[in-house]
This record gives sequence, structure tokens and C-alpha cells, in this order.
Amino acid sequence: MRSLRFHARLLALYFAQYAKARLAYRADFATAVLASFLGTAASFSVVLLLFSRFPHLAGWSFHEIVFLYGFSLLPYGFFNVLSGNLYEFADRYLVEGRFDRILLRPVSPLFQIFFESFRLESLQEVLTGAVAVAWAASKLPGLSPLGLALLPLWAVFGAVIYLSVFGILTASSFWIEDRVGLAPPVFNLMAFGRYPITIYDLKVKVLLSTVIPFAFASFYPTTLALGRTSFAPFFWAVPAVALLFAFLNRAIWRRGIAKYGSTGS
Amino acid sequence: MSEPAVRVRDLVKTFEVTRKSPGLAGALKGLFRSERTTLTAVDHVSFDLDRGEMVGYIGPNGAGKSTTIKMLTGILTPTSGDVTALGLVPWRDRRAYTKSIGVVFGQRTQLWWDIAVVESFRLLREIYGVSEADYARRMKVFDDLLDVGRLLPQPVRKLSLGERMRCDLAASLLHEPTLLFLDEPTIGLDVVAKANVRSFLKEANKLLSTTVILTTHDLDDIEELCERVVLIDRGQILWDGSLRGLRDRHLPEARIRFDLNPIPAGDPAELSVGPWRAARLSQGRYQIVVDKREVGTADVLREVVRDLPVLDLAVGEPDIEEVVARIYRENAALRRPGAEALPEGGAPGAVAHRGVRRG
Repeated sequence: MRSLRFHARLLALYFAQYAKARLAYRADFATAVLASFLGTAASFSVVLLLFSRFPHLAGWSFHEIVFLYGFSLLPYGFFNVLSGNLYEFADRYLVEGRFDRILLRPVSPLFQIFFESFRLESLQEVLTGAVAVAWAASKLPGLSPLGLALLPLWAVFGAVIYLSVFGILTASSFWIEDRVGLAPPVFNLMAFGRYPITIYDLKVKVLLSTVIPFAFASFYPTTLALGRTSFAPFFWAVPAVALLFAFLNRAIWRRGIAKYGSTGS
Repeated sequence: MSEPAVRVRDLVKTFEVTRKSPGLAGALKGLFRSERTTLTAVDHVSFDLDRGEMVGYIGPNGAGKSTTIKMLTGILTPTSGDVTALGLVPWRDRRAYTKSIGVVFGQRTQLWWDIAVVESFRLLREIYGVSEADYARRMKVFDDLLDVGRLLPQPVRKLSLGERMRCDLAASLLHEPTLLFLDEPTIGLDVVAKANVRSFLKEANKLLSTTVILTTHDLDDIEELCERVVLIDRGQILWDGSLRGLRDRHLPEARIRFDLNPIPAGDPAELSVGPWRAARLSQGRYQIVVDKREVGTADVLREVVRDLPVLDLAVGEPDIEEVVARIYRENAALRRPGAEALPEGGAPGAVAHRGVRRG
């Protein structure tokens, strides 16, 4: 418990320091936010375009799709804010040797890797997503209040799932020298979660619900609110999946750090 | 204190290195089978550090200094052997242990690159749980001794190497560690910055009775700071004692270097000064190497000044690299086949042995 409070305070401090440093270059930051927003807007407009032709997609209405898509931006945005260091881990920490410094501080190494840098502009995604969800919700009658109330918490679980999966992929650099790695193709899989899982074939459904459980991060969490009761078991499994992958991630990092300790690389 | 601050026994660290064959064919071959070599970086090292002691840990590049330090700081786990530091096992009790040690790597900063120095200090204050009162008091001391006050508002990336090192030293002592590791703390610093760093370390050691272990290439660091040196080469300790003792035993030389004016006729390659020979270094500059076991340096000096038109004169001693090179040569000679009592490869006590195995 003390450790939790200590880490929470430290996180707030890390974030404040990073934001301060980042905001020192206002124009630079504003450009980054704008670029990030344009990216989100562009991929969103693909959905709008699609629906100008087909008012329904495999039994999902336009507003439901906006709801779904908007929600998917929440865990995705949180993930993007925190994942900056994961991409750089192999080069900046292992090759350049900064990982030594991480090990010399009385703070969890994984905590330091996740929270030493933030991609602030991705907060834009969280905001855009929230606006889209709110708008779609206002157009959809009969949403489940419990489903809506749980959305923010489920978004956090979703972010935990994304971070854990990419944490595990990043930890592979402890064993594999390949710097390109598996992260980019897996990253592309995140886009699948923006649409109802029912539109994919069985293989994709299984993949997104098991090894790479992205459906638990962005699709299943919306099903309770949208009244798709057939997905209820999946909806309620979200916290367990998040905890399972967080636990796996931690275990793999432990082994990675032990391996680093024995080889120094 | 009876209990030493650090107790190292039979510490061994080996690394597996994959040998890569050259060229594309080699790379392809490497896909199927790779030749692995075991490299012994630290080979049965033992020593104790007493509380408040300041020890120089020296040796040539690749001797095993950094590997030892990394094990003592808990970054690396040893292949075998024991370390007890402040009553803890560094790599096993890492979180608790890192609270009471400080580490400075001369080559790398531990401060956050993009934020102001003072912000880094605030983060460290939080990480190590230093109270506001202690923080204020210590920052005052750092400002007095290291003049870091005016550097605090600047981001680390804008500091010069010397400024950064001063900040790094202060940062490493913010939580008043009982044990301080310094890896090349004066590397790349100018003369003034070096002097500042050294006097600070002396002061800190005296004030806080911090145990300090220092690796360096710079003999002057050791000479000014450390009563005791531990010399390591090829993973083994070759000397553990005073620097003077090390020099006197292995390279008891003094070098008298002098400039003559006028330049002797004919610009000879050698001059005689009494029974000694002075070798020409450049036009008008000569050097006599004095074997201190045979004669006092002052006696030679007296004759040089009396016999020659000396314009300027300096007496030097061999630097650590030279002493180490000499010891290394002696060490290598001992290890040649047929040399007494040293087993070939494999056995403990042999130097940095290599074994090849297919994997």
C-alpha cells in the first residue's frame, strides 16, 4: 500500500515535470497536437465515408459505430500517452546503457520505463473519443446506464491490456537482438478493435480474443452499454484479461531483468 | 567498526560471447551454428572495504573494473562468489540496497536530460524520500562546495561536462548514501573542474564518512584521494595496497626532463651527466630515467643543474598506465608455458581463460 502511494505520487511528479518541459516549446507542442488530431480525424472520416454508402454495417447502426469507434480512442489514447518509451527501449535503454541507471534507483524498473516519458499530444485522442462517445450516446436510445458508468474504468483496463501486450513485446529485446521486432504488425492490429468484432471471420475473432486480446480493450467494453447481451461473458471478463496480461508482462520483465543481470545486455 | 562496509569473496563473472564469422557466408553459417566463447571478466576477486575508506579501483581497459562495479552496485549478478555490502546482497536486495548507495558514471548522467537540474533534484528527493529540511540543508552544502546553485535552473543538456559532473555528484549524494561508487568521475574534465571534483570528494568523504570506491584512469585522482589502490588486470587483483608501494615495487622510476639553453653543439642523441645518460626527446630537451632503488632523485638533479645549462626542469613519475603495463608484462611472463606453479586454463587462479564450445 505504501509502495502504491509512493508510486502514485512519483507518477504525478514525473508527469508534471515532463509536461513542464514539453510545454516550454509551445509552438512545437501545438503542432504535435494538431498533427495528432488530423490523424484521428482522417481515420474517423473513413468511417463516416463508409456509412454515407451503407447505413448499416452487419447489423450495427451508424451511431453505434461512432460510439464504438469513439470508445476505442480512449484506451488507445491512454496507451499512446504512455507507450513512448516502449518503442525506444531497445535502442535508448539497452544499447545506450540507460537501463543501468534504471536499476540503480529504488523504484520499480517497469514503472520507470513506462513513466519517464509521455506522448502528451495523444491526450487529444482521449478527448476526441470522449466527445464522440457522448455525441453518439445522445443519439442512441435505451443505453444501459451501468454499461455507460463502467466505460471509463473499462477504458483503463483496455489501456492496461495494450500496455501489457506491448510491454511483453518490448521485453523480447532482452533476448532478441532484432530491433524492428514484432511491435509494428501488432500495432496495426489495434485498428481492428475500432469495428464490431462480428464483421471479421473466425480466425481474426479468435486472435483478438486470445493471444492478442485487443477485442477486450476496445470492442467488448462497449457491448454492455449498447445492450448486446450475447457478449456479456466477454464484457465481464475484461478486468480479468487485463490483470492476467499485466501479470504476464510483469513476470516476463522480471525474467528479462534477470537475464540482463547475467549478461549485461 | 569490525564489520566491513563491503565484503567481496571469490567474485567471478563470465560472459558468453558469440563469435561471428565474417561476410555473408559467415552470417548464414551463424544462423545454424554459432561458436560460443566464454570470457572471464572477473576472476576470483576478493577484498574488503572498511567504512569511511576511499579506495581506487584501477586497471587497463577491459580489465574487469566496470564489471566488478556493476556487480557491487547490483546491476549484474555474478557467476559465482559473494558480495555483502551494507549487510545486503546487492543484486538480490536491489531496491533496498540502492536506497543507501550513490553511483556516478562519468560517461553518463543520471539526471533527466530535458528538464532543469533543480527538477531532477526534486524527483530524486521524492524517490529517496529526503525531507524538505534535509534537502534544503544539503543543497546549501552542494552550493558551497560545488557551486551548483546557478546551474539549477538550466536543463542538463545545456551544461558543460564539468558542470554536469558537479550536478551528478551532488545528485548522487542527495540521499547521503553510506557507500558511493564513482566510475571515472573526472573523465573529460579540465584541470580546474578536476580539482573541484576532487576537493569535493575529499570533503564529502570527511563530512559524511562515506565509503568511496573510485575507478579511474587518472593517477592524480588516486594520488589525491586514495590511500589504497586495488589494481585489477584480466579479471584478477594484482595489487591491493598503497599507491606508493605499488610504484616502488613495480616501477621505481623518476623521470627528470630538462630543457637546455644553449642547445648542446651537434644536437646529440645522448648526453652524459656524471654516470647517467640523458636521452634526447626533442631539440634541446632531454630526459634521464632514474632507478630509485639505486640513487636518490635529488642527487641526480644536483648534478644535472651543476653540469648543464638548464633552462627549465621537471620531475615526473610513471603514470598509472605505465605501471599497469609493466605489471601486466610481468604478469604475462609469469603465465607463459613452463612458468612455475601456474596451471594452464580452467583452474581457478588462472588468468582470463577462454574455453570454446559449440552451441
